[in-house]
Amino acid sequence: MNHQQQLQQRLFQQQQLQQGTRRHFFRDCGVGVGAMALGDLLNGQNSAQAAHPLNDPRAPKSTPLPAKAKRVIYLFMAGGPSQLDMFDHKPMLTELNGKPMPQSYLEGKRFAFMGSSHRTNLLGTRRKFAQYGDSGAWVSDLLPHTSGIVDKLTFLHTCKTDLFNHAPAKIFMNTGTGQFGRPSLGSWLTYGLGSECDNLPGFVVLQSGPRGPRGGAVLWGSGMLPTTYQGVPLRNQGEPILNLTTPAGVSDSQQVEVLDAIKQLNAQRLQHTGDEEISTRINAYEMAYQMQSSAPELMDTSGETPETLAMYGIKDPNESSFARNCLLARRLVERGVRFIQLYHTNWDHHGGNTENLETHLPQICGDIDNPCAGLIRDLEQRGLLEDTIVVWGGEFGRTPMGEVRESTGRNHHIDAFTMWFAGGGFKPGISYGETDEFGFGPVGDSVHVRDIHATLLHQLGLDHERLTVRSQGLDFRLTGVLPARVVHEVVS
Amino acid sequence: MPRVGKRHSRGSLILLLPFVVSMSLHVDTALGQQEQSQIVYNRDVRPILSENCFSCHGFDHATREAGLRLDTREGAIATLESGTVGIAPGRPDESELVLRILSNEDGVQMPPHESGKSLTKKQKDILQQWIADGAEYQKHWAFIAPKKTEPPTSGFVDSTSVDPIDAFVHARLKLAGLSPLPIADPVTLIRRVCLDVTGLPPAVSEVDKFVKACAVDSEAAYQQLVNRLLESPAYGERWGRWWLDQARYADSNGYSVDAPRSIWKYRDWVINALNEDQPFDQFTIEQLAGDLLPNSTVSQQVATGFHRNTQINQEGGIDPEQYRIDSIFDRVATTGTVWLGLSVGCAQCHDHKFDPILHKEYYQFFAFFNNQDEPSLTVYEPGIDANALKKEQKQLESSIRKHIDESMEQLQAWEAGLSKEAVKQLPSGVQKSLSVEAKKRNTSQLIELFAVEVGKADQKFQKQQARLSEIGRLLASGVSTLVMKERAEPRKTTIFIKGDFTRPDEEVTSGTPSVLPALRTSNANPTRLDLAHWIVAKDNPLTARVIVNRVWQQYFGRGLVETENDFGLQGSSPSHPELLDWLAVNFVENGWSLKALHRQILTSQTYRQDSRERDDVKAKDPGNYLLARQRRLRLDAEIVRDVALSASGLLSSKMGGAPVFPPIPEGVMGQGQVKRRWNVSTGEDRYRRGLYTFVYRATPPPSLNVFDAPDGLSSCTRRNRSNTPLQALTLLNDANFFEFATALAKIIENDGIETAFQRCTSRQPNADELSVLAEMTPLNAARVLLNLDETYTRE
Repeated sequence: MNHQQQLQQRLFQQQQLQQGTRRHFFRDCGVGVGAMALGDLLNGQNSAQAAHPLNDPRAPKSTPLPAKAKRVIYLFMAGGPSQLDMFDHKPMLTELNGKPMPQSYLEGKRFAFMGSSHRTNLLGTRRKFAQYGDSGAWVSDLLPHTSGIVDKLTFLHTCKTDLFNHAPAKIFMNTGTGQFGRPSLGSWLTYGLGSECDNLPGFVVLQSGPRGPRGGAVLWGSGMLPTTYQGVPLRNQGEPILNLTTPAGVSDSQQVEVLDAIKQLNAQRLQHTGDEEISTRINAYEMAYQMQSSAPELMDTSGETPETLAMYGIKDPNESSFARNCLLARRLVERGVRFIQLYHTNWDHHGGNTENLETHLPQICGDIDNPCAGLIRDLEQRGLLEDTIVVWGGEFGRTPMGEVRESTGRNHHIDAFTMWFAGGGFKPGISYGETDEFGFGPVGDSVHVRDIHATLLHQLGLDHERLTVRSQGLDFRLTGVLPARVVHEVVS
Repeated sequence: MPRVGKRHSRGSLILLLPFVVSMSLHVDTALGQQEQSQIVYNRDVRPILSENCFSCHGFDHATREAGLRLDTREGAIATLESGTVGIAPGRPDESELVLRILSNEDGVQMPPHESGKSLTKKQKDILQQWIADGAEYQKHWAFIAPKKTEPPTSGFVDSTSVDPIDAFVHARLKLAGLSPLPIADPVTLIRRVCLDVTGLPPAVSEVDKFVKACAVDSEAAYQQLVNRLLESPAYGERWGRWWLDQARYADSNGYSVDAPRSIWKYRDWVINALNEDQPFDQFTIEQLAGDLLPNSTVSQQVATGFHRNTQINQEGGIDPEQYRIDSIFDRVATTGTVWLGLSVGCAQCHDHKFDPILHKEYYQFFAFFNNQDEPSLTVYEPGIDANALKKEQKQLESSIRKHIDESMEQLQAWEAGLSKEAVKQLPSGVQKSLSVEAKKRNTSQLIELFAVEVGKADQKFQKQQARLSEIGRLLASGVSTLVMKERAEPRKTTIFIKGDFTRPDEEVTSGTPSVLPALRTSNANPTRLDLAHWIVAKDNPLTARVIVNRVWQQYFGRGLVETENDFGLQGSSPSHPELLDWLAVNFVENGWSLKALHRQILTSQTYRQDSRERDDVKAKDPGNYLLARQRRLRLDAEIVRDVALSASGLLSSKMGGAPVFPPIPEGVMGQGQVKRRWNVSTGEDRYRRGLYTFVYRATPPPSLNVFDAPDGLSSCTRRNRSNTPLQALTLLNDANFFEFATALAKIIENDGIETAFQRCTSRQPNADELSVLAEMTPLNAARVLLNLDETYTRE
């Protein structure tokens, strides 16, 4: 192919991309701004211009593979939950409590806080484990509600990550690399699939717990993808989306008058210049206006029945909590939002006086147990679980060896930890992957973060090897260049 | 290429969608293309091989399949283990490559099906023809030094007066059967050039003046305008931000803790250097190695802040060495991207897949940056000699001390006479000094006590003490900034296996990639200074091209090489190769003067032409690669703010200094791991240009972030230009923009809607526009104007 052909091919690709990302402006835009419809403004243009629909990079796209799921709710347990006190039942660990970890397990391993607080003696759990449901999944007494839904869940007990510090590991779990500045899972999905919602962002982040997750906004960043695809945090206090509220003293009718005039003048400029970016801008203002009413409407849970609130364990529906965020996640799913991520802090139970296994692990399990089970049940009863994937997990797990500070705790552990999945074609009621007698490493297959990403993309109809973006001369992808596989054993 | 078995797609890099469809018809009609009788490797063949073959049959020996490499002729024609030959020059039929690309059979076909890549018939034909012609290779264009060719005379414009840029562009357009658009009208033009050069719109009076001057002599008026703008201090601010993007500048340490840092002296250094038109070679040397220059000045040391813009991880439990290494990885990648346009960083874990950069060479490059300490430097205003002041301070202190010691009895008597109540009346500092045991009091405590009563009438003491406080004040006026400082003893550098710092391998010393001209130095261990000289050496084929391309990109929305950060084998070929080379050589001949380069581009007709769509251009060159017209470009994040501030009459023209804190929405600073303070600036600091806003890397100011301001996490050589509802919400509802609108409403009340419209768009409103706005209250009309697409676009 010679140079000109190359050039031309690029042009062609660009056109294809643009066409692929167009959608009809008025689709689902039930409430157009003000009295003047854009169609009127476009009248009188020559046919070539009128034939161009308006650009929208968020328009839904067809998937290259058959999709089992349409959207994801990701319950991110920030800090690294202790799988050994919740899901991974290891009687041997209890039996050998206080004994040193056999040296053969430790060679060549690196841990956070190496050389300071790190201990190598085994720590048995104080929790009582039992098997539940038809599937017989082991769950500890910390999670009485979750134990009731185990037949709807898929447990992966040998999840594996590469990084053992909070912020890098969280970034790794979200972007497939520990480096700052790469697109996150939610950005990749909205980039690859578009959005099915015209009046809310395609990727929404909700937060609860005593502080924000380590890593901050980078966790839902769009990296080298356009910022259109970055996660939008819905805030618990004040306006749910930044700058959502019309400035004080401006009435709604004034805002509509202003918006009408903006649209009218922008449309005139579109006609004058022929620049389609202006049509994208007109479209963006339309959605901005709709968000001004749709976001508060989303946050207003007064229409939820007492039964529903009880299902999530919500006592005061106006108080911000993980439980309320779970309910909001369902409401977001109903509105067609593609990727919803909930962060709940703080699971970093090292054993200090504010973060130990005795007091604080039971507390935080109490925060999330009922809401998680409620969310799954609610999604199921509304027929949404079928095509919604729910993911539960942290950035890593915790060691079988105990840390003894003021009280007991566990260090960060990256070689084997538990996550669970539900819906969207994940096989219900199964456990996959087995850890050794101490829960230290996998016996047999690991499921690496990259495999998890590949599997999630696969369920959503995307091929992790083909979903790429070109930057700095390379085609970047979520799963990077190292091997990644779809874990077919756990999905249908 | 074995006939059976073996997976071929490992780590392959694949296009988003299978766009590789036959383009032949479309191309030939669209661009009026030349008949290509001769296949040229760099233009025709290499792109096909690079995209489809090199990831498994290229430079990286570790992933090379079947022992075949196609990136060198030597490798391609060698007999393989299987006894076959990849490429038999002159004999396509005997070439395994041809057999494979023509096959449809699974396991035989190349590229393999699972790679997701496929060749078009045309591509297959080209490869066969090229092999039949003898399979001649060429060095990659970007690794050959640029040559200045005579601008063609075949274009549209009268060949006697033609501008070199226009000559190249017009000749290419003619080939495609297109003609350039006419020069934009004066109003559009002055707005465009003001925004491009200074990042600020022209004042209404300037527009009027220019329009009048154009009526007399448009050429002279324009030349004068360009010269004036290039001399404006705002030029340094606008283009300084361009450079700061590449330097990944921000005001905090990054990572999760993201504490604030002080490095704005470096930002001011960049602005000043550009305003003084410091030659780009010197600009480069000072930033990469200012500390190593003989008798380096404070300014040259401040310049080394360029590579101190890396993040610093302050999280508990980390291994500091890991993050020191990460910052060097970043310095290597940034240096490669910014100056060489090469993705050097790709060789961090393995040999580069596409470019001839070895894993080992990466660590030789790494070694240049592995040898410095990373201290802070305190910088004083000119005229303040900190060393002399510190010396004087010491002398004064001992002199006063001696004097006090001699008067100790008086002091003791005074102290003894103090009642408890009297002590309580004294300033808290004095009380504190009194509470120290007499023998243990230091000089400053003694001075404090002495000054209260005993020294009151002591003229000598008074004088000395005044001078001492003056010195203290002067010394405290210093500003800390992050710099580089070479270590006396070099650190050992090794290769890291797979880029993992816990897996050191062979030791290496500093050096440059062998594909580029050799590093000339007498140093056994070449330093950053040697590297800097090498980067701007006359025979370096990349630096000048990369920089002129990146300047060009600002003016046209796209570089002549579209992949502005990748001039390697995976990058795109230049749309106008001779023009790129002409500009690069000319840039160096002009003493690396950026202002001369700006002037060269700005005065071309290509820059000045209209940006409107025209049907024939749209049909033949919809992406405008051939530059038949200018392009409408949404303004950069900071300039969005600047334009609104300027339109509403609030803009402060104050330059430089510590970053400022304009209002941001409640709760933003709580979104990071550590909640940071944001004390809103008062006075004119509330209305400073966007580039002076304090930027926390983890929680960047939303109104900048939403318009794609870079994150400062890695070098940014081209910004995104997104167009989103959140931008609309910002312009509509953000408190800053509402405040600007309120100010603009006052202007509407006083000077009328036409003036306000002009302040926003530089042009007069037409009758339709006026009729829409005239109906509205001043505030509503002002809000409309500050939300128009046109207000934030240069056309």
